[in-house]
Amino acid sequence: MCRILRISGDSLIPDYHPGDFVLVCKIPFLIGPIKPGDMVAFRHPDHGTMIKEVAALIPNNRLFVVGSGRHSVDSRRFGPIGQDTLIGRVIWHLRPPGYRQ
Amino acid sequence: MLFRLMERLDQVFRFERAAAHCDIPCGIYDPIIAQIDALTVVRMIDLMHDLEKTDHKGIDYHNSMSRYIQIKEQHAENCKREIRVIWGDFIKPEHAQQYPELNPLVHKILKLGSQARQTANRSAGEELLEAVNQFAEIFWRIKGVATKRAKAPYAPALEVVYPDL
Repeated sequence: MCRILRISGDSLIPDYHPGDFVLVCKIPFLIGPIKPGDMVAFRHPDHGTMIKEVAALIPNNRLFVVGSGRHSVDSRRFGPIGQDTLIGRVIWHLRPPGYRQ
Repeated sequence: MLFRLMERLDQVFRFERAAAHCDIPCGIYDPIIAQIDALTVVRMIDLMHDLEKTDHKGIDYHNSMSRYIQIKEQHAENCKREIRVIWGDFIKPEHAQQYPELNPLVHKILKLGSQARQTANRSAGEELLEAVNQFAEIFWRIKGVATKRAKAPYAPALEVVYPDL
């Protein structure tokens, strides 16, 4: 229900950098209902395991997810995702010391 | 401390990667940024040693030395980051199979990058540059582009691998 993932790719810079670690959880009482602004990891049939920000919930309980960058590959390209594809919501984020604000 | 612990755990357990792809995909990958970063590390170490030879150890000395160290830190870390991006986003499992020295080399670069931050020893910077050069040679071979080695036309004028276009 919880797992550690490591970020690859640049679409969430400056909030998430390649090499950062995140702990994602799917335990309902721990994460509550998914809402806009949440960072979620999910499995996409074409793009594999991805991490993006929830921009909006849309009909049929689907999520419109986006990255920070203009060229991010996200729901603007592959459409909304089903909540059944979620690996979990990010509940902890670890950056390398060099990237600390 | 915690991050280093996590990195060690990652080496053992190999945590799943979550892609935050920023790709059109643009397909623009070039190790030259990492090579320039490594050159900059060597250059900053040279400047640090030059400054250390001067007699003036006043506020200006500390100001300059701090700046050199800061730039060395930044570029060593950025060198690691650039290599990670190419390795994570461009290198595919079949490349690593074709070039079995590739993954150990990336690991070596990440370690040398850290070492270059920890020390003011020029050889640490030179080793980093050479490892990144070797990475560049493999990268361009994967792309089917011939390479040549030439001295960078600026200090510290060390040998750099360039695509031979």
